Amino acid sequence: MKDPRGVLADFGVTLPQETDIRVWDSTAETRFLVLPMRPNGAEGWSEQQLAELVTRDSMIGTGFPRTPGAPS
Amino acid sequence: MNGVHDMGGMDGFGKVEPEPNEPMFHSEWEARVLAMVRAMGAAGAFNIDTSRFYRETLPPHIYLGSSYYKKWLLGLEDLLVDKGFVAASEIAAGHAMEPAKPLKRGKFTRDDVERIMVRGKFGRAASAPAKFKPGDRVRARNIHPTTHTRLPRYVRGHVGVVERDHGCQVFPDTAATGAGENPQWLYTVVFNGAELWGPDADPSVKISIDAFEPYLEAA
Repeated sequence: MKDPRGVLADFGVTLPQETDIRVWDSTAETRFLVLPMRPNGAEGWSEQQLAELVTRDSMIGTGFPRTPGAPS
Repeated sequence: MNGVHDMGGMDGFGKVEPEPNEPMFHSEWEARVLAMVRAMGAAGAFNIDTSRFYRETLPPHIYLGSSYYKKWLLGLEDLLVDKGFVAASEIAAGHAMEPAKPLKRGKFTRDDVERIMVRGKFGRAASAPAKFKPGDRVRARNIHPTTHTRLPRYVRGHVGVVERDHGCQVFPDTAATGAGENPQWLYTVVFNGAELWGPDADPSVKISIDAFEPYLEAA
């Protein structure tokens, strides 16, 4: 809560200072999923192809999806 | 309660150590604990808020020293003893020594598993109009309930902006103590980092909580 940028760094995610950070503290029964950004090289991919790039961390906001061609 | 579980903003726990390829369960007993908690909840022995409250009331050194599912197990044991479903002597012995107490619903078979593992629905009909709307400035009340609450300590007394209205939902504070569902409006409230953590806070950070209407006052 106090140092989300530092927590992201623990997960190996370093964001530029100009990138805003939003933290959702899940204090009720609502659960939030992050919609991962489409990685470069995946333009025009189908939903099924994109699903191959999605990781757990990319949907909880602590990582990026895989990039096309990278080992899974 | 102002318990050890409410640790937002606390220092000193060290770095997060992500576990690569983390398995669903680290031991078979963890899956059994998950199944027992879900089954007893579905059987009507307790609601989700009461089970959370029992985990929060574990002694602080036990809470901090226990894994996720260990806390689930210890909270379940205390809860079932208090509700009279098992005796402490039975837990110590590791088996039943008295006739089973009847449950409201259940027992379950394998065919019930999928239904039981689906989380319940918490939305309820509203009995009064919402007091706040998106864009309203609100202050989190400086309250310190000694029982279960979803209002984190780090927002109390601070001003944020309502961002979203989630409708009326079961109020965990009363549900946890058996005082009823008492549905309340629920809002996402956004706070600036500096409002919560002072002038040295990262200016690019915003923090949201989901806050029930009784936690809030107009600001």
